[in-house]
Amino acid sequence: MSHTPFILASYLITTAVLLWIALAPILSKRSLVRQLKGRQKHMDKRQ
Amino acid sequence: MSRPALATAFVALLRRDFLLAYRRRTELLQPLVFLLVVITLFPLGVGPSPQLLANIAPGVIWIAALLATVLSLDSLFRSDYEDGTLEQMALSGQPLALIALARIVVHWLVAGLPIVLLSPLLALWMNLPDAGVPVLVKSLVIGTPVLSLIGAIGAALTVSLKRGGQLLSLLVFPLYVPLLILATSAVSAAVAGLPYNGQLGLILAGMIAALTLAPFATAAALKLSLS
Amino acid sequence: MNRFVLFFHKTGSPPWFYRFAGKLTPWLWAGFVVLSACGLYLGLFRSPPDYQQGESVRIMYLHVPAAWMSMMIFALMAVMGFIALVWRIRIMEVLTISSAPVGAAFTLIALITGSLWGRPTWGTYWVWDARLTSELVLLFLYIGVIALYNAYDEPRKAARAAALMAIVGAINLPIIHFSVLWWNTLHQGSSFSATGSSIHPSMLWPLLLMAGAFKFYYGANLLGRARLRLLKQDHRKRWVQELLAGESD
Repeated sequence: MSHTPFILASYLITTAVLLWIALAPILSKRSLVRQLKGRQKHMDKRQ
Repeated sequence: MSRPALATAFVALLRRDFLLAYRRRTELLQPLVFLLVVITLFPLGVGPSPQLLANIAPGVIWIAALLATVLSLDSLFRSDYEDGTLEQMALSGQPLALIALARIVVHWLVAGLPIVLLSPLLALWMNLPDAGVPVLVKSLVIGTPVLSLIGAIGAALTVSLKRGGQLLSLLVFPLYVPLLILATSAVSAAVAGLPYNGQLGLILAGMIAALTLAPFATAAALKLSLS
Repeated sequence: MNRFVLFFHKTGSPPWFYRFAGKLTPWLWAGFVVLSACGLYLGLFRSPPDYQQGESVRIMYLHVPAAWMSMMIFALMAVMGFIALVWRIRIMEVLTISSAPVGAAFTLIALITGSLWGRPTWGTYWVWDARLTSELVLLFLYIGVIALYNAYDEPRKAARAAALMAIVGAINLPIIHFSVLWWNTLHQGSSFSATGSSIHPSMLWPLLLMAGAFKFYYGANLLGRARLRLLKQDHRKRWVQELLAGESD
């Protein structure tokens, strides 16, 4: 049995998981900042 | 804190918890019925082959005991939390760990001990050989207190949550793994004619450790849930 | 007051921590990239296939460091959780709960790569050996901590509950590990070891490099998550308002 698909799958899945865990807070932060800035602009306009 | 006060408080708590348990005695039967039903499901699910049942008997009985205990743990602190009694007890000046210990003692007596008493019947249904039955009972006698003690920590952590019950199982099952392994090993060893006192000794050691530590962890968790 | 104590006190201030962590994070990511590049290069191209297991041993360079991280992070969670509970330091609460997803991810990686390693070497995707079973129980402990945190409405209370659960879990972890190890020797004939008795240096280096790389990854990810959590929790406070007005992040 060739070992290559298993090695490949291991490295791919590891990369995918680490990428997801790394990106999730970064994306979440961008959308949070956008949301908060939008709200702040709204508040400033009202004042 | 003078010693008589501590002891009288403890006894008072025990009395109260027994009285409450007595008033809810039909509710207390439910986990036990669950225990019986779950055991019954196994022959129905895997077939009635006596050898198969005998092989899986120690594990199945112990797992059913775990499940039944977790069911009974959910209401350990809940009603006192909801009507504010728990808060009053926390403010009373008595150590919360004492209150937790009293609750755990009563829980074991009304929920754990019945499992011990039912175990010969469960052994019969699961075709556990005679050699295993005394050890099964022994393992349950020293093991079910551990279930109550560690389970109380989980119950205290989840008492203030709406869906606390499901989360409780998730929290305590990994912690129950060593007990499950040791107890089932003891029973299987007894059936095979091998020594089992080592396993029982370790369970006993674990029980003593839990007896000394768990009330404090439970108290910390209760304080947290009340805050 | 010496510099270390001063530093420790400064980290207690969310805006200061936010800025400090922001400056540190790129370096940690750089460390991760450099170490993993070296480790992967050595592991994939410069190390020999194993005498018994062939090429699949290369999975070890992911599996073993991931497993090490899964345990190290849980231990760190327990320590930070203890500090958070005893001294009520909010930063510690944030760091404790921010570690959980990363630790769970490493546990998952360890399990999956272990499974994929097992298929060509032992013939099966899953075997209830001591290490894999312990890792699985560890994953459940992580999930339990995360679920407990998410179940609470109030963030500080949630973090303290999660911290308590992490401490209880960490105390139990060695007990669980040894009981599973012992259980395994009862139920399995032979025990499988990762690479045999000793590791050849050409295999040891990539292993250690990947282990280091993962530590940098954890650091970078942890600080990133902690900063995000601080922003979320403090979004009404002035330091966040000023931050948003001042720079585009």
